[in-house]
Amino acid sequence: MTEKKLATLDEVRSHIGRKREESMEIDGTVIRAYCECIGDANPQWKVGIAPPGLVTTAMISSGAMLLGVPLPFKRSVAGGADWEFVKPIKKGDVIHTSHEFVELQDKSSDKGPRALMVYRSTHKNQKGETVAVSTNTIMTY
Amino acid sequence: MAQIHYEDIHEGADIPTLEKTPTTRTLVQWAGASGDFFELHYDKEFAKSMGFPNVLVHGRLEAAYLTQLLTDWIGPKGEIKKISVQYRGNAFPGEKLLCKGKVTKKYVKDGQHLVEAEIWVENPAGQRITPGTAVVAVPSK
Repeated sequence: MTEKKLATLDEVRSHIGRKREESMEIDGTVIRAYCECIGDANPQWKVGIAPPGLVTTAMISSGAMLLGVPLPFKRSVAGGADWEFVKPIKKGDVIHTSHEFVELQDKSSDKGPRALMVYRSTHKNQKGETVAVSTNTIMTY
Repeated sequence: MAQIHYEDIHEGADIPTLEKTPTTRTLVQWAGASGDFFELHYDKEFAKSMGFPNVLVHGRLEAAYLTQLLTDWIGPKGEIKKISVQYRGNAFPGEKLLCKGKVTKKYVKDGQHLVEAEIWVENPAGQRITPGTAVVAVPSK
Protein backbone atom coordinates (compact mmCIF):
# COMPACT_ATOMS: atom_id res chain seq x y z
CA MET A 1 0.00 0.00 0.00
CA THR A 2 1.33 3.41 -0.95
CA GLU A 3 1.81 5.80 1.96
CA LYS A 4 -0.09 9.02 1.40
CA LYS A 5 1.84 12.23 2.05
CA LEU A 6 0.49 13.99 5.10
CA ALA A 7 -0.21 17.72 5.05
CA THR A 8 0.86 20.25 7.65
CA LEU A 9 -1.88 21.87 9.71
CA ASP A 10 -1.28 25.14 7.84
CA GLU A 11 -1.68 23.34 4.52
CA VAL A 12 -4.96 21.81 5.72
CA ARG A 13 -6.11 25.22 6.99
CA SER A 14 -5.48 26.71 3.53
CA HIS A 15 -8.33 24.52 2.26
CA ILE A 16 -10.92 26.15 4.54
CA GLY A 17 -13.66 27.53 2.31
CA ARG A 18 -13.15 24.87 -0.38
CA LYS A 19 -16.56 23.95 -1.85
CA ARG A 20 -17.91 21.21 -4.07
CA GLU A 21 -21.39 20.59 -5.34
CA GLU A 22 -23.17 17.43 -6.35
CA SER A 23 -26.68 16.43 -7.31
CA MET A 24 -28.74 13.27 -7.01
CA GLU A 25 -32.19 12.28 -8.15
CA ILE A 26 -34.04 10.47 -5.41
CA ASP A 27 -35.61 7.70 -7.45
CA GLY A 28 -37.15 4.42 -6.40
CA THR A 29 -33.90 2.51 -6.85
CA VAL A 30 -32.04 4.79 -4.47
CA ILE A 31 -34.77 4.53 -1.84
CA ARG A 32 -34.98 0.74 -2.19
CA ALA A 33 -31.20 0.26 -1.93
CA TYR A 34 -31.12 2.32 1.26
CA CYS A 35 -34.09 0.55 2.86
CA GLU A 36 -32.74 -2.91 1.98
CA CYS A 37 -29.34 -2.05 3.39
CA ILE A 38 -30.53 -0.86 6.77
CA GLY A 39 -33.48 -3.26 6.96
CA ASP A 40 -36.18 -0.57 7.10
CA ALA A 41 -39.49 -2.11 5.95
CA ASN A 42 -41.59 0.96 6.82
CA PRO A 43 -44.42 1.03 4.21
CA GLN A 44 -44.22 4.84 4.19
CA TRP A 45 -41.10 4.64 2.02
CA LYS A 46 -43.05 2.80 -0.70
CA VAL A 47 -45.53 5.61 -1.32
CA GLY A 48 -43.25 8.37 -2.51
CA ILE A 49 -41.62 9.63 0.67
CA ALA A 50 -37.88 9.27 1.17
CA PRO A 51 -36.63 8.10 4.57
CA PRO A 52 -35.03 11.14 6.23
CA GLY A 53 -31.86 9.20 6.90
CA LEU A 54 -31.34 8.51 3.23
CA VAL A 55 -30.00 11.86 2.19
CA THR A 56 -28.55 12.96 5.46
CA THR A 57 -26.69 9.86 6.58
CA ALA A 58 -26.01 8.17 3.31
CA MET A 59 -26.17 9.37 -0.22
CA ILE A 60 -25.18 12.97 -0.32
CA SER A 61 -23.50 13.89 2.94
CA SER A 62 -20.00 12.59 2.41
CA GLY A 63 -18.50 16.00 1.84
CA ALA A 64 -15.22 14.89 3.34
CA MET A 65 -14.65 12.27 0.67
CA LEU A 66 -15.74 14.56 -2.15
CA LEU A 67 -13.73 17.62 -1.12
CA GLY A 68 -10.51 15.65 -0.79
CA VAL A 69 -8.88 17.92 1.80
CA PRO A 70 -5.53 16.29 2.73
CA LEU A 71 -5.15 14.83 6.20
CA PRO A 72 -2.56 16.14 8.68
CA PHE A 73 -2.22 12.84 10.55
CA LYS A 74 -2.15 9.18 9.53
CA ARG A 75 -5.44 7.98 10.96
CA SER A 76 -8.95 9.35 10.55
CA VAL A 77 -12.40 8.33 11.74
CA ALA A 78 -15.82 9.97 11.77
CA GLY A 79 -16.16 12.04 14.93
CA GLY A 80 -19.79 13.12 14.88
CA ALA A 81 -22.54 14.73 12.89
CA ASP A 82 -25.55 17.02 13.15
CA TRP A 83 -28.50 17.08 10.79
CA GLU A 84 -31.33 19.56 10.59
CA PHE A 85 -34.31 18.39 8.55
CA VAL A 86 -36.12 21.38 7.07
CA LYS A 87 -38.53 19.84 4.55
CA PRO A 88 -39.48 16.26 3.67
CA ILE A 89 -37.76 14.77 0.63
CA LYS A 90 -39.95 12.98 -1.90
CA LYS A 91 -39.36 10.38 -4.57
CA GLY A 92 -38.49 12.22 -7.78
CA ASP A 93 -36.85 15.18 -6.04
CA VAL A 94 -33.44 16.21 -7.32
CA ILE A 95 -31.25 17.16 -4.38
CA HIS A 96 -28.46 19.65 -5.01
CA THR A 97 -25.89 19.65 -2.25
CA SER A 98 -23.18 22.18 -1.53
CA HIS A 99 -20.35 20.91 0.67
CA GLU A 100 -17.80 23.18 2.32
CA PHE A 101 -14.75 22.51 4.47
CA VAL A 102 -15.39 25.08 7.20
CA GLU A 103 -13.08 24.53 10.15
CA LEU A 104 -9.91 22.88 11.46
CA GLN A 105 -9.51 22.50 15.21
CA ASP A 106 -6.06 21.47 16.44
CA LYS A 107 -6.62 19.29 19.51
CA SER A 108 -3.05 17.99 19.83
CA SER A 109 -1.78 17.48 23.35
CA ASP A 110 0.90 15.59 25.27
CA LYS A 111 -1.15 12.48 24.45
CA GLY A 112 -0.40 12.94 20.76
CA PRO A 113 -1.51 14.68 17.60
CA ARG A 114 -5.23 15.14 17.05
CA ALA A 115 -7.39 17.47 15.00
CA LEU A 116 -11.03 17.88 14.07
CA MET A 117 -11.97 18.70 10.49
CA VAL A 118 -15.47 20.13 10.13
CA TYR A 119 -17.56 19.99 6.92
CA ARG A 120 -20.93 21.66 6.35
CA SER A 121 -23.43 20.61 3.68
CA THR A 122 -26.60 22.34 2.52
CA HIS A 123 -29.12 20.23 0.63
CA LYS A 124 -31.68 21.92 -1.66
CA ASN A 125 -34.40 20.45 -3.84
CA GLN A 126 -35.12 21.22 -7.48
CA LYS A 127 -37.23 24.22 -6.42
CA GLY A 128 -34.28 25.74 -4.59
CA GLU A 129 -35.84 25.01 -1.19
CA THR A 130 -33.44 23.98 1.56
CA VAL A 131 -34.46 20.49 2.68
CA ALA A 132 -31.63 19.73 5.12
CA VAL A 133 -28.42 21.11 6.57
CA SER A 134 -25.73 18.84 7.94
CA THR A 135 -22.38 19.13 9.68
CA ASN A 136 -19.87 16.29 9.74
CA THR A 137 -16.74 16.15 11.83
CA ILE A 138 -13.76 13.95 10.99
CA MET A 139 -11.26 13.23 13.75
CA THR A 140 -7.69 12.71 12.55
CA TYR A 141 -4.87 11.52 14.81
CA MET B 1 -47.97 1.43 11.46
CA ALA B 2 -49.40 2.94 14.65
CA GLN B 3 -49.43 6.71 15.07
CA ILE B 4 -48.16 8.11 18.36
CA HIS B 5 -49.51 11.47 19.58
CA TYR B 6 -48.02 14.23 21.71
CA GLU B 7 -50.36 13.38 24.56
CA ASP B 8 -49.13 9.75 24.59
CA ILE B 9 -45.52 10.79 25.19
CA HIS B 10 -44.09 11.40 28.65
CA GLU B 11 -40.74 12.73 29.78
CA GLY B 12 -38.51 9.86 30.89
CA ALA B 13 -40.29 7.30 28.69
CA ASP B 14 -38.23 4.86 26.66
CA ILE B 15 -38.41 4.76 22.88
CA PRO B 16 -39.01 1.17 21.71
CA THR B 17 -35.62 -0.47 21.11
CA LEU B 18 -34.54 -1.28 17.55
CA GLU B 19 -32.15 -4.21 17.16
CA LYS B 20 -29.65 -4.46 14.31
CA THR B 21 -26.82 -6.87 13.50
CA PRO B 22 -24.86 -5.45 10.56
CA THR B 23 -22.70 -8.03 8.77
CA THR B 24 -19.82 -7.60 6.36
CA ARG B 25 -22.47 -7.95 3.64
CA THR B 26 -24.33 -4.97 5.16
CA LEU B 27 -21.12 -2.93 5.06
CA VAL B 28 -20.65 -3.74 1.37
CA GLN B 29 -24.28 -2.75 0.72
CA TRP B 30 -23.77 0.49 2.64
CA ALA B 31 -20.57 1.30 0.77
CA GLY B 32 -22.39 0.82 -2.53
CA ALA B 33 -25.47 2.72 -1.46
CA SER B 34 -23.66 5.60 0.19
CA GLY B 35 -20.53 5.91 -1.90
CA ASP B 36 -18.38 5.66 1.22
CA PHE B 37 -15.55 3.46 0.00
CA PHE B 38 -13.10 4.17 2.84
CA GLU B 39 -11.01 0.99 3.13
CA LEU B 40 -11.47 0.94 6.90
CA HIS B 41 -14.92 -0.55 6.31
CA TYR B 42 -14.05 -3.46 4.00
CA ASP B 43 -10.29 -4.14 4.04
CA LYS B 44 -9.28 -5.99 7.20
CA GLU B 45 -5.54 -5.52 6.58
CA PHE B 46 -6.08 -1.78 6.19
CA ALA B 47 -8.14 -1.75 9.41
CA LYS B 48 -5.32 -3.57 11.21
CA SER B 49 -2.80 -1.05 9.90
CA MET B 50 -4.88 1.62 11.63
CA GLY B 51 -4.85 -0.29 14.89
CA PHE B 52 -8.27 -1.96 14.70
CA PRO B 53 -8.82 -5.73 15.04
CA ASN B 54 -11.37 -5.84 12.22
CA VAL B 55 -13.20 -3.62 9.76
CA LEU B 56 -15.54 -1.11 11.39
CA VAL B 57 -19.24 -0.55 10.94
CA HIS B 58 -19.71 2.87 9.31
CA GLY B 59 -20.67 5.48 11.89
CA ARG B 60 -23.17 6.90 9.42
CA LEU B 61 -24.82 3.49 9.12
CA GLU B 62 -25.34 3.60 12.89
CA ALA B 63 -26.79 7.10 12.47
CA ALA B 64 -29.12 5.72 9.79
CA TYR B 65 -30.28 3.08 12.27
CA LEU B 66 -31.02 5.89 14.75
CA THR B 67 -33.16 7.70 12.17
CA GLN B 68 -35.12 4.45 11.75
CA LEU B 69 -35.47 4.17 15.52
CA LEU B 70 -37.18 7.57 15.41
CA THR B 71 -39.31 7.13 12.28
CA ASP B 72 -40.59 3.76 13.59
CA TRP B 73 -41.57 5.51 16.83
CA ILE B 74 -43.11 8.78 15.61
CA GLY B 75 -45.29 7.16 12.94
CA PRO B 76 -46.30 8.42 9.50
CA LYS B 77 -47.42 11.85 10.72
CA GLY B 78 -44.31 12.52 12.78
CA GLU B 79 -41.23 14.40 11.51
CA ILE B 80 -37.61 14.30 12.57
CA LYS B 81 -36.42 17.89 13.03
CA LYS B 82 -32.84 17.49 14.24
CA ILE B 83 -30.37 14.78 15.10
CA SER B 84 -26.90 15.09 16.56
CA VAL B 85 -24.60 12.12 17.12
CA GLN B 86 -21.07 11.52 18.30
CA TYR B 87 -19.08 8.49 17.23
CA ARG B 88 -17.32 7.53 20.47
CA GLY B 89 -16.83 3.80 20.10
CA ASN B 90 -16.45 1.19 17.43
CA ALA B 91 -18.87 -1.44 16.21
CA PHE B 92 -17.72 -4.52 14.36
CA PRO B 93 -19.66 -6.66 11.87
CA GLY B 94 -21.62 -9.48 13.46
CA GLU B 95 -22.23 -7.62 16.71
CA LYS B 96 -25.79 -7.11 17.87
CA LEU B 97 -26.41 -3.37 18.22
CA LEU B 98 -29.28 -1.98 20.23
CA CYS B 99 -30.65 1.40 19.14
CA LYS B 100 -32.33 3.07 22.09
CA GLY B 101 -33.79 6.36 23.18
CA LYS B 102 -35.37 8.17 26.10
CA VAL B 103 -37.65 11.21 26.07
CA THR B 104 -36.06 14.17 27.86
CA LYS B 105 -38.49 17.03 27.17
CA LYS B 106 -41.76 17.89 25.42
CA TYR B 107 -43.11 21.32 24.56
CA VAL B 108 -45.14 23.32 22.07
CA LYS B 109 -43.32 25.92 19.98
CA ASP B 110 -44.66 27.91 17.01
CA GLY B 111 -47.65 25.58 16.89
CA GLN B 112 -45.50 22.45 16.66
CA HIS B 113 -45.63 19.70 19.26
CA LEU B 114 -41.99 18.93 19.82
CA VAL B 115 -40.26 16.16 21.72
CA GLU B 116 -36.57 15.98 22.61
CA ALA B 117 -34.85 12.68 23.28
CA GLU B 118 -31.52 11.15 24.07
CA ILE B 119 -30.71 8.50 21.48
CA TRP B 120 -27.86 6.05 21.30
CA VAL B 121 -26.44 2.85 19.84
CA GLU B 122 -25.35 0.32 22.44
CA ASN B 123 -22.81 -2.45 21.73
CA PRO B 124 -22.92 -5.99 23.23
CA ALA B 125 -20.82 -4.77 26.19
CA GLY B 126 -23.55 -2.27 27.05
CA GLN B 127 -21.45 0.74 26.03
CA ARG B 128 -23.11 3.71 24.36
CA ILE B 129 -20.86 3.84 21.32
CA THR B 130 -22.92 6.39 19.39
CA PRO B 131 -24.76 8.74 21.74
CA GLY B 132 -26.77 11.68 20.52
CA THR B 133 -29.86 13.81 20.78
CA ALA B 134 -32.93 14.27 18.61
CA VAL B 135 -35.85 16.64 18.20
CA VAL B 136 -39.04 15.33 16.60
CA ALA B 137 -42.47 16.80 15.89
CA VAL B 138 -45.54 14.63 16.45
CA PRO B 139 -49.25 15.27 15.90
CA SER B 140 -51.56 16.28 18.72
CA LYS B 141 -54.95 14.56 19.25
